[in-house]
Amino acid sequence: MEIFSGLIHGFALALQPANLLWCFVGVFLGTVVGIMPGLGPPATIAMLLPLTFLMNPASAMIMLAGIYYGAKYGGSTTSILLNVPGESASIVTCLDGYQMAKKGRAGAALGIAAIASFVAGTVGVLGLMFVAPPLARFALAFSSPEYFALMSLGLAMVVLLAGHSIVKALLAMLVGLWISSIGTDLFSSTSRFTFGRMELLSGIDFIVVAIGVFALGEVLANLEAVEEPQALPVPKGLRNLLPTLQDLKDCRFAFANGSIVGFLVGVLPGGGSTIASFISYGIEKAVSKRPEQFGKGVVEGVAAPEGANNSETGGALVPLLTLGIPGSGTTAILLAALVLWGFKPGPLFISENPSLFWSLVASMYIGNIMLLVLNLPLVPLFAQVLRTPAYVLYPVILGVSMVGVYSISGSVFDVGLLAGFGLLGYVMRKLDFPSAPLILGLVLGGALERALRQSLMMSEGSLSILVARPISAVMLSLALLILLMPLFSKVNAWRRKLL
Amino acid sequence: MAPKIALVLLVSLAGTAFAQGFKPTRPIEVVVHTGPGGGSDLLARSVVTMIEKEKLVPVRMQVVNKAGGGSTVAASYLAEKAGEPHTIGFFTGVWLTSPLTSAEAKVTLRDLTPVARLVLEPALIAVKADAPFKTLGDFVAAAKEKPGQLKQSGGSVTSRDNVVRQLLQKSSGARWAFISFPGGGERIAALLGGHVNMMVIEPAEAGEHIRAGNMRVLAQVADRRLAAFPNVPTLKEAGFDVPAVPQVRGVVAPPGIPAANVAYWEDVFRRLTRTASWKKYLEDNQFEDGYQNAAGLAKFYDEFTGTMRGILQEAGVKIVR
Repeated sequence: MEIFSGLIHGFALALQPANLLWCFVGVFLGTVVGIMPGLGPPATIAMLLPLTFLMNPASAMIMLAGIYYGAKYGGSTTSILLNVPGESASIVTCLDGYQMAKKGRAGAALGIAAIASFVAGTVGVLGLMFVAPPLARFALAFSSPEYFALMSLGLAMVVLLAGHSIVKALLAMLVGLWISSIGTDLFSSTSRFTFGRMELLSGIDFIVVAIGVFALGEVLANLEAVEEPQALPVPKGLRNLLPTLQDLKDCRFAFANGSIVGFLVGVLPGGGSTIASFISYGIEKAVSKRPEQFGKGVVEGVAAPEGANNSETGGALVPLLTLGIPGSGTTAILLAALVLWGFKPGPLFISENPSLFWSLVASMYIGNIMLLVLNLPLVPLFAQVLRTPAYVLYPVILGVSMVGVYSISGSVFDVGLLAGFGLLGYVMRKLDFPSAPLILGLVLGGALERALRQSLMMSEGSLSILVARPISAVMLSLALLILLMPLFSKVNAWRRKLL
Repeated sequence: MAPKIALVLLVSLAGTAFAQGFKPTRPIEVVVHTGPGGGSDLLARSVVTMIEKEKLVPVRMQVVNKAGGGSTVAASYLAEKAGEPHTIGFFTGVWLTSPLTSAEAKVTLRDLTPVARLVLEPALIAVKADAPFKTLGDFVAAAKEKPGQLKQSGGSVTSRDNVVRQLLQKSSGARWAFISFPGGGERIAALLGGHVNMMVIEPAEAGEHIRAGNMRVLAQVADRRLAAFPNVPTLKEAGFDVPAVPQVRGVVAPPGIPAANVAYWEDVFRRLTRTASWKKYLEDNQFEDGYQNAAGLAKFYDEFTGTMRGILQEAGVKIVR
């Protein structure tokens, strides 16, 4: 009952005209920031922070949260249309989203991304509302051995991301793991693979690699065409631009999968939306009836990761609001914002500021509806981008990529790196190496290594800590199972041949 | 009025360059080494807001993020701006320690122009509320009994967290493990989840966990007790005669700028630290006023890096400079 009275109170506050306006400003800004590669929600929120002093804290929190989850909606747009991931959380969306666009189904991909975002975003808020306190305790039970197991589970997904050859996928993943080790080692402060360049001391941002390998690699590969490449097909008529009923049917499981995986990974302070989207994509492919179609443009390959990165937002707010512990860059800034407004985020925050909490929760329901209404009409509009002839589109992709990468940290060195990774992406395409495993290794590598070394420090060097703890043991077994999957299917195929 | 008179005296003593004084004519670039939302970035943005509100500087001030390589990218950027009067930067402890441990971090604070030290951040030594240790002495005694078994969560090996541990270990002969976590949230989660036994935490971060009864403070890393923690002993009072290693924040300028510019910025920041908004900012964040002028900062830097070099060497960190 307490929840319902709280929620009603929250809606009463969130539906006030001023708060509705700020909610809209937030989700609108979020969508814009999400669409632009590079500039992400943490940077936007930090820059708007001085302005929020003029607002009342509830409105300000509603707006900043709107930017946070709104960006997750926008992030898929450039992933699908240009193969340029708009946010780190939308890297996985490129895999099937861009392939759908190539087949003339960009509208369906954009539409399903918006719908998946809405469903999962709403589930994330429901989770935040109903199960936050017990889940926060679950998050605390997670420590380095469990994170190691989670990252291993993520890495095991490589067999699902592999194309024709598992060996090539593993090689690509190893390169990704190696790139993740570049920079200053946290534990010893030694520089690794920095070649005396100070720009490499803090490592390579994986969004630079992802944009290089995906977007630039694609552009370079297309430059080879002797004939003028055709503009991508865009069907006429609004009906053909939106997802069909069959699409929605195909995505039923993906909606649930993305919502739950995203929320659970989001609750963990060491999780993150990129990891959530990779894991839900892997699960989707593992249980799919048509796994061989993944990577060639299936609609559930867009719905699962896009859903996961949206419900991750609700999850990430759990440790922030119930414990005062930020799990990601954006929640760390939201925490700083709460402190600056004179609140004391911590275990007592919700019970002492019920109005703020409930108006935030209510505003997130409203904001998600606003985002759906805002994003769906944009779908046909955005889909027209692909009508642009290649001699305009490719330079635009190049420009968007470079500006995006430069805007992350204002570094020309990063733009150079981008060019390098573009070449790498091109070479990998020519040699038929899949690029997703490289990004997977890069995204998980740092956290995997840290978690392993932390675990070994906790156990004074004994590996048994990884299997002695139940959560970690279960996840490691799952990882092993996934790794053995190709073997099973080989054995099966062989048996079928014999019979 | 006293500082103004002093400034006038200084100006009249220092000859022509000085007599003309310095007044910014273009927008000021304020360089920080973190991305938007990082500690230094938030401090810089708050300071800029306060300076604008108090009208201490006649031009606009713009925060510029030069993230990368810890502090090295920002420090090199300032070094490249040699002689540029419209650029300043905010430094923190990492600007002092990075050059000691990475060969790539070539620019030290001494290569730039020290302007002022602004903030000292004290710290607390905290354990989980249900831990058996009631005092820091209890913890150290338990660590002595089981060498290497107790654990502390913290930041990188060069962070203040580890320096405090090194000092305590050296003075007591006890030994416990130090486990690095990149994010502050993860460090607290490790303590509250019972995966580590102790951590060094900033007062503002700890306050709510203490109030909720999840965390207990054993000692404070400060020279005198903080207003918010009147009943918690300092390290010395707890029986450990080790220096209270400060976390510092302050202002630097590019190398080769005239003394008049240094005097101008010294004056701006001295006036800032006298304002009510600054005092409230310190109180809200539980920082201590650490104002020191340029000469004081330079002296502080020499002493601090000398001590740090010794401590890090003992901790087994490779020192390159």
